[in-house]
Order: sequence, then structure tokens, then C-alpha cells
Amino acid sequence: MKFKCTICGYIYDEAQEGVAFADLPETWQCPWCGAQKSAFEPVAEEAPPQEAASSSPPAEPGELFDPSMQKLSVGQMAALCSNLARGCEKQYMPREAALFGELADWFTAHSPKVEDATVMDVISQLKQDLADYPEVRQTCVRQADRGAQRVLVWGEKVTRMLSSLMDRYLKEDDAMLDGSEIWVCSVCGFVYIGAAAPEFCPVCKVPAWKFNKIERRKPL
Amino acid sequence: MKKTRYAVRNLSLCTKDCLCLYVCPTGATDTEDSIIDRDKCIGCGACADACPSKAISLVPLEMPLPQPKTEAVVQALDVLTSRKVATEQAARSIAGLTESDTLYKLMRAISESSRIMEEDLMRESSYMLPQSENARAFLQALAANPPAADFPVGKVEELLAMMPFQGESE
Ligand code: SF4
Ligand code: SF4
Ligand SMILES: [Zn+2]
Repeated sequence: MKFKCTICGYIYDEAQEGVAFADLPETWQCPWCGAQKSAFEPVAEEAPPQEAASSSPPAEPGELFDPSMQKLSVGQMAALCSNLARGCEKQYMPREAALFGELADWFTAHSPKVEDATVMDVISQLKQDLADYPEVRQTCVRQADRGAQRVLVWGEKVTRMLSSLMDRYLKEDDAMLDGSEIWVCSVCGFVYIGAAAPEFCPVCKVPAWKFNKIERRKPL
Repeated sequence: MKKTRYAVRNLSLCTKDCLCLYVCPTGATDTEDSIIDRDKCIGCGACADACPSKAISLVPLEMPLPQPKTEAVVQALDVLTSRKVATEQAARSIAGLTESDTLYKLMRAISESSRIMEEDLMRESSYMLPQSENARAFLQALAANPPAADFPVGKVEELLAMMPFQGESE
């Protein structure tokens, strides 16, 4: 049997490894991306007939979106402005990037505070995201929107990683980071735990220097 | 020939070998602040070919119009964006309160990661380019109706004045 990492695609081949997947310790991790055992799924030996290609309904793009009717939340405006800042940076427009960055900071600072948030809230939001991704992706397939589909493929993998890290935190608590740092891919948001950033992001494939290390809290 | 692109230098990659100075036919790369002179540059690409550090790229003078988005896509993405905004905010608030260094770092990572996913989702929700028609409409609405008294309207107006918006240049 073979097992595939749903986050980075690494294949664990029992025949080659000589150890049954089920016999691996619970602490075993994906050698590429660090995902837990639970992020693996069995690979069907015989590739099943590609139902997706034949049975999915033909694309039928619907009515065009009218942004003037949209009401964005403060948090969404923060993300919109920080993304436009990135866009300006890529196009070498430093002043414009700085201005959008300042707007993003203002919106972030003025986002409604959540006073009594708990770790369990974060866990259930991530699980709800994972439950929603397939449906959202189907919509974008039907609307023939390739850009949105690509973003969803990355986002689903990253969200699955976040969810699996939260489960690990529940089990290991503060021991989770013993001797390790947390790294965030600045391109896709993938989170990696290890002494050093991975050579390549297992989700979006950018090199190690695109990862940011999460620094410890500054002493007050 | 009409100029369709111009050269830009990524200063963090440039090792100052200065090959681009020798090949540029117009002297556009020869500037004191190392920023290639956009007006002098004719977009020939000789500098990008010569650069040993791959520090120069040619960017189009006019970006192609972004693909229009459908109502169904934007609505579907909005479900995810809204929840990820909530996750980002929850994680940031937990990080601000916890005593644990581990939980602090984990929550910082989750809020940073959520923001990056929100950014991608917003971009795909019809805000592809900073010079797009939709980005301009967004800024104009903020300028006309600032969300709070301390909102930095001046920055919005500065952006509206300096950004080369699509469809404006002709
Ligand atoms: S050739 Fe490349 S590395 Fe050398 S000065 Fe020009 S941009 Fe910099
Ligand atoms: S593209 Fe041509 S004109 Fe422009 S800076 Fe490079 S060499 Fe000079
Ligand atoms: Zn990545």
C-alpha cells in the first residue's frame, strides 16, 4: 500500500520502507512538510476511472460581479489593502506600496476586537473552512475561474496544515516547539515547524528565503 | 517602435557588477540612486540579458485588463475570506493574552498565514491589480465616505492622484 500526504504530495510506500504505515508511531511526520500521520490518505492501487472529467457539468459562467454592490468588512479591507501593497511592490512602485501598507495597518488596527477568543474557536473555524473548500472549489470550476481555483488549492492545503498543527498543540502543548522554530511561507502561508525553514515550500515551491521566522514576544 | 515595457532593477539581487551600464544604449541604467530611469529606458532588454545576477526584469507599461469575476465566484470566496478574517483576529487576540511562548508563536503564525490566504482570496475577488478599475472605485468610495474621523484620507487621495489607473492613460 502507498499513502500520500494531502498537504505536499509525499508518497509513503510500505513496500519500499519495510514498515506498515499503521505501525509508524503517532509522532511520525511527513519528511517533506512535517504534516502529521493523520494528514495522509491511502493511494488507490488501480487509478479509479476519472469521474471528475466526464461527470462534472460543463462550465457555465454566470452573471458578472458588480463591486459597487459589495460591502466589505474592516478585516477584508485590511487584507485587500495589504494585497494591493504587495502588488505595488512587485511592480516596483515603492511609494504606492507604502501608502497601501499604511491603509492596511489602519484597517488592521481598527478591526473589531475579539475579546474572549479561545484555541477551540480557532480549531472549529479551521475545520469549518476545510468542510467548505470542496464546495467553493466546485463553484469556481463551474464558473471556469482558473485563478480562483489555484488559490483554493493552495489555501486548502495550508488550512489543512494549520488544522493539523492545532491538533498537535492540543496533544503536546508547550512541548510542541522544543528545539524548533515556526516558519511561515510569505507567498502561500504554509506553516512549518523545524530548526530551519524547508529548502522549498512544499505547497507553493518557493525557496527557503521566502519563509519568515516567527520571533518570540518582545519583552515588555 | 512604440515602447511597451521598461526595465526595473531589484536592488536586493543587484551585486553592482555594472554590466548593465555597458550595454544600455541610452544610459538609463546609469543613475546615482540605482533606480533605472524609466523615461530614458527604451525597453530593449539588453541590460536584463547581460545582468549576471538576474536582477533586472522588464515590466509591461500597461498591464492587461484582469479577467472579470462572476457574482457566484465572489460570493463563494467571501465565505472563506470572512471566516479567515475571524480566525486571524481570534489568533491575534489569543497571542496578545497568553503567557505561553509556544502558544504566542503558534497564534502569530496562524494570524500571519490566515492573512496571506485572505489576500489571495481578495485578489481573486476582482481586485487583481492595484491599477484596476475596481481598486480605483474602492479608493474613491473611501475618499468620499471615510470610515472614521481618524481615517487617513490624505493617503487615499495621494494614491488616487499618483496611481496610473487602467483606462485613464488614453
Ligand atoms: S548588471 Fe545586474 S548586478 Fe550588475 S549592476 Fe546591473 S543590475 Fe546590478
Ligand atoms: S531595457 Fe535597454 S534601454 Fe532600458 S535600461 Fe535596459 S538596456 Fe537600457
Ligand atoms: Zn509556500
